[in-house]
Amino acid sequence: MNEPMIRVEKLRKSFGDNLVLDGITTDIHKGEVVVLLGPSGCGKSTFLRCLNRLEVPDGGKIFLDDVELTDKKTDMDKQRLKMMMVFQHFNLFPHLSILENLTIAPIKLLKWDKEEAKEKAMELLERVGLKDKALEYPNRLSGGQKQRVAICRALAMNPEVILFDEPTSALDPEMVGEVLDVMKELAKSGITMICVTHEMGFAKEVASRIIFIDKGKIAEDGTPEEVFGNPKNPRLREFLSKIL
Amino acid sequence: MAKKKRYLLVILSFLLLFSFTACGKEKALEASKVTCVEDLKNVTIGVQLGTTGDIYASDYEKEGCKIERFTKAADAVSALKLGKIDCIILDNLPAEAFVDLNQDLSILEEEFVNEDYAICISKENGELKEKMNAAIATLKENGTLEQIQMNYIGDSTKGQYPYVSPSSVTRENGTLVMATNAAFEPYEYMENGEIVGFDVDMARAICDILGMELKIENIEFDSIINAVQSGKADVGIAGMTVTADRLESIDFTDSYTNATQVIIVRNGNEEQKASLKDRLYHNFIKDNRWKYIVNGLGTTLLISFFSVIIGIVLGFFIAIIRSTCDKTGKGKFMNWILKVYLTIIRGTPAMLQLLIIYYIIFASVDINKIVVAVVAFGLNSSAYVAEIVRSGIMSIDEGQFEAGRSLGFSYAKTMWYFILPQAFRNILPALGNEFIVLLKETSISGYIGIMDLTRGGDYIRSRTYEAFLPLIAVAVIYLILVMMLSTLVSRMEQRLKKSND
Repeated sequence: MNEPMIRVEKLRKSFGDNLVLDGITTDIHKGEVVVLLGPSGCGKSTFLRCLNRLEVPDGGKIFLDDVELTDKKTDMDKQRLKMMMVFQHFNLFPHLSILENLTIAPIKLLKWDKEEAKEKAMELLERVGLKDKALEYPNRLSGGQKQRVAICRALAMNPEVILFDEPTSALDPEMVGEVLDVMKELAKSGITMICVTHEMGFAKEVASRIIFIDKGKIAEDGTPEEVFGNPKNPRLREFLSKIL
Repeated sequence: MAKKKRYLLVILSFLLLFSFTACGKEKALEASKVTCVEDLKNVTIGVQLGTTGDIYASDYEKEGCKIERFTKAADAVSALKLGKIDCIILDNLPAEAFVDLNQDLSILEEEFVNEDYAICISKENGELKEKMNAAIATLKENGTLEQIQMNYIGDSTKGQYPYVSPSSVTRENGTLVMATNAAFEPYEYMENGEIVGFDVDMARAICDILGMELKIENIEFDSIINAVQSGKADVGIAGMTVTADRLESIDFTDSYTNATQVIIVRNGNEEQKASLKDRLYHNFIKDNRWKYIVNGLGTTLLISFFSVIIGIVLGFFIAIIRSTCDKTGKGKFMNWILKVYLTIIRGTPAMLQLLIIYYIIFASVDINKIVVAVVAFGLNSSAYVAEIVRSGIMSIDEGQFEAGRSLGFSYAKTMWYFILPQAFRNILPALGNEFIVLLKETSISGYIGIMDLTRGGDYIRSRTYEAFLPLIAVAVIYLILVMMLSTLVSRMEQRLKKSND
């Protein structure tokens, strides 16, 4: 097996007295589609946010392509370029048009030519079926459309890995499908994805690996077949029985 | 747009209507109750703040008199004409000048007090005092002082002896800065935009002897001693009498002339009402008086414009530092310093800040007064802008920060590209409001002797003794400026609104 892309060693994080991550150790390889499962408050979102250091971990180490992200000397702004994030609440920039939402980062940070960035953005919007919305502002879009744009915004940066933080939780039920479709297509393209989600169908169908986190620790880690077919951990069995 | 024009029209016609009703107001005033010094009981006496008249009048407070103190003698004259006060105690020559221009006023024959005028000078400046005394003695000996006096005083000699500097004078001994209050005819007053008068000519003559350049600072009378103490001016020459109180804080040269304090009263006979046209002519056309308004407007705009720039730049800067400190919990000390700054600036009146910056902080620096005003109003505004901007930054969802950072933007770039543009849109109405306040606040610039719009109107008032037209004219100009400013702000709001969420 080749070198892992992301290495996490004994990651710890607490908010005040509340220990959220209690020593998480795992490796994630290029091309994996990892789904993080767990009861609410188990720390899966915090784990995701620690990966690109939106939350600063209290202890442990994270490496991305052998660069230690937990080292204070590391230029995080540069490392984040390889690792985009899609948020539960989309967080599109309301003062910029859809097109500008997609092109501002490539133009300002990757120093792309404006035309080049625009071309790439239009390509991505076409892929998710929103080409005709390019000049609209985010407030004109439905939740599902906003999330598809947010995914495009992440893709526009050509990242190595995309982090999804409950991308469908804030959507009306009829819009969940359109976003999942985009994510499924993305998974097939071979990009590395780490998703926090409650969509079990997506997890079963698309994930190459499921990590179950309970009380800040990894309680089970395996393929969807192993995790759903033959759950060993009693907490996982309880969790699955509740949501399936 | 049509709606807006209509409401403008309503405001303007309301103002016009108001002016005409005010013009038509006729009210016969009774003659003053005061006919001799003995009568100074239970009456209201008008004086100029800080003059010897003020000091003498204060003795009559015990007799049940009420003292109204005005910063300009001309304001007291207006008040007397309107029946707001019963009499004025003033130096004889300016009193005569006022009575000459106002047929409904007269001077009581009984003189009030005799006194000597002298030049005030800092106690630490003994060397200059000696030189000045020698110069005054020379001017007395060679008759120059008498000629200057005759040029300004005495019906038959007025204008006969204009003072001309000898051509051989060299000005190699530096500049003499003289503080005065040019509303005290014939000692110092404005004529065609220049400060002239007995004191001014004498100061020129003294400078000619000392080989110095004369520079005149026109400020409020009650600020003159402060200006000399703080070194803003070398000497104060303003028909100033030597008194025990003043000697405690300042030194005086030998006396250069004497004067008497007299009482001005109102006659019973009604003054003929001038027509509006005459009054317009008198207030704005005669002696090019409109120029005081136009120049004042220019100064007001200049001060406002640069203060706004300083306010915005400094305000945004402070707000960004403060919200960064709040967010990250770092830089506690810096945050504390800025909090203290904001508390002080927002907790004290702008006028005091202006005076403190002029008389204390820039005391020993020779600096353009407009620059002082720009600094003072800019700092003042920055505190308010800072809090407005901070509230704008706080109003932006935390997710916007995270989105910016997660894309790889640094903290500063996230602020610049995503947070500030959205914050700016939210705070634009509050910012517009702050700039309207600032524009009007600059009307206190007159306190450090800047001829701004308000002071321009004040000056006309001090020459024409009419309150109504100059005040309304200035008020209307401010109103128009503010309306233009708010139109500009609402246009910007409209433009930014298209991307509203």
